[in-house]
Amino acid sequence: MNAASETSSARAFLEISGAGKSFGSTPVLDGVDLSIASGEFVSLLGPSGCGKTTLLRIVAGLLKADGGQVRLDGRDITAVPPHRRDVGVVFQNYALFPHLTVAENVAFGLSARGVAKAESGAAVARLLGLVGLAAMADRSVRGLSGGQQQRVAVARALAPGPKLLLLDEPFSALDRKLRETMQIELRRILREVGTTAIFVTHDQDEALVMSDRIAVMNRGRIEHLGVPQDIYRRPATPFTLDFVGLSTRVSGTVRGSRDGLSLVETAFGTVGARSSYLEGSPVAIGVRPERIALDARHENRMRVRLADAIFQGAKAQLHFHAANGDRVLVEALDVPTGLSRGDEIELSFAVEDTLIYPAQTAGEAA
Amino acid sequence: MSVAARLRSIPAGAALTAPAILYLGLLYLVPLVWLLARSFSGPDGFTIEPYAALLSDGFTWQVIGNTLRIATLVTLLTLAVGYPAAIVLSRARGWMQVVLLVSIILPLSVGIVVKAFAWQIVLSRNGVVGQLLVASGLFEHAPQLLFTEAGLVVGAANVFLPFMILPIYSVLNLLDPRLPEAAATLGASPLYRFTRVTLPLTLPGIVAGGAFVFSMSVSMYVIPSLLIGDRFQTLATLTGRSFLFMRNEQLGSTTAVLLLAISVSVILAATALARRLGGMR
Repeated sequence: MNAASETSSARAFLEISGAGKSFGSTPVLDGVDLSIASGEFVSLLGPSGCGKTTLLRIVAGLLKADGGQVRLDGRDITAVPPHRRDVGVVFQNYALFPHLTVAENVAFGLSARGVAKAESGAAVARLLGLVGLAAMADRSVRGLSGGQQQRVAVARALAPGPKLLLLDEPFSALDRKLRETMQIELRRILREVGTTAIFVTHDQDEALVMSDRIAVMNRGRIEHLGVPQDIYRRPATPFTLDFVGLSTRVSGTVRGSRDGLSLVETAFGTVGARSSYLEGSPVAIGVRPERIALDARHENRMRVRLADAIFQGAKAQLHFHAANGDRVLVEALDVPTGLSRGDEIELSFAVEDTLIYPAQTAGEAA
Repeated sequence: MSVAARLRSIPAGAALTAPAILYLGLLYLVPLVWLLARSFSGPDGFTIEPYAALLSDGFTWQVIGNTLRIATLVTLLTLAVGYPAAIVLSRARGWMQVVLLVSIILPLSVGIVVKAFAWQIVLSRNGVVGQLLVASGLFEHAPQLLFTEAGLVVGAANVFLPFMILPIYSVLNLLDPRLPEAAATLGASPLYRFTRVTLPLTLPGIVAGGAFVFSMSVSMYVIPSLLIGDRFQTLATLTGRSFLFMRNEQLGSTTAVLLLAISVSVILAATALARRLGGMR
């Protein structure tokens, strides 16, 4: 996979190599390699059971890996217990200490390290100001709303000045509106503090919004590691294509390749894609819905019939059927006037936007 | 009106508590009132003379002291043994948990008299403990254990141990395992995690277990009778002697009420404490 090799730069701040873990006879993590630079925000994105939380717990020291190594800031921390790792964690349910006040929760990591009360008081006040909870210092954490609890959890994890911050699906308990606010808020806070962070999520939008880089995980492996634009526009595997964003996927057979361009015969007709597959190879073709034009301006064309048009506010979703019954999904700014259900039109998409994968892995990943 | 409808017309709370109220009222409250009345009645009607006489006697204070000291030591010993046991129990899974739970609960089905006799055998000079102490080289001769306060505390703690373990276990089970983990990632050593997170959050269980064990050991009768004998009197054994051997109902009633007052105040204080600590969760 191109995942690990791409960025194992010499200046890796966190370096995970060959991390593996099985629970009983079930492998959960299959020798994962991952390097992260200082100050970077990397998301582990994948469905439940893909091993992302297991990897996070191994980095935090809360779980012992079966094999592999974790290095942080030049130090091998594979065998170091969690309280000596300098790795902060924001848990999914926040795990605030219910018997302590907001300020006491935030001060916990400082007092645990023997920082004097007078000294920690200033740090706690600064952090509570940073997360916008200065007025809540003496409140019990039980009365707080979900968003406030999360702010406390972030401030608490940042208080001891960890080298690395791990966030385990921190937004999953919040409603949609609040989630979007908190995502932007968290980005601001982390930028201000400059902490290196790993963020675990199953929500592709969250990962796209928050991350410098995304590691898409599936079945205990990293399928694709890259910047969000790359993950979305040039997904390395059919799994990444399906998991991040919507797409239209059709199977086809390569009819010939020349100069890095393969011609693929599909039920829609013949389309071109940038690749050099051998003639006769079974492949899968994928296109992002917003990359398909509602006219014939691009090279790859197909005739389809409109099955449904859904207006979604900022955009519109158009569902088309091809002659053989295959579905094609298109996203446009609006439903074109004059186009009604049953109408037949020609769609087109650029060769550059045409994604091509070997057919076997496509079936396997589905 | 159908039976169901009639049942529905009675407030649910009253209907559900009726059997308990009837049972306790007839078999517990009535004799208790009689006991209370007996302790306050002299030849000329109402009197507090029995209490005055009892409390002005130095021996009474010695007995109260014995009672409280033994009960406190038994409670502390069960806590020291029971808390780690509760932790192990709460971490055990599958068949291991079943084995541990059964081994804690099953001994409750063995009668106290049987257990006390068993401890007599264990603690006697040629009993297991004595033999072990000699074998370990710590003692040249097996020390006197039976008929000592230490023997009584050890024996009673064994009998009451489940009542300390189970409340702590149930609170530990409710404790979010992420909390000690969160403390660890914040740099807290295992000891710091225990004293600042686990212990304060399980205090309600400790208070409940403590109240159980204390109130049971403050009023135990059979165990001290068999493990320490008549030389050592507690309020409970004194009450028993007054009724059974001295045939002094007045004295027995008075010491019984005194004992009851102590037990009730311990339970009330523990409940108040548990509510305050429990309210923090």
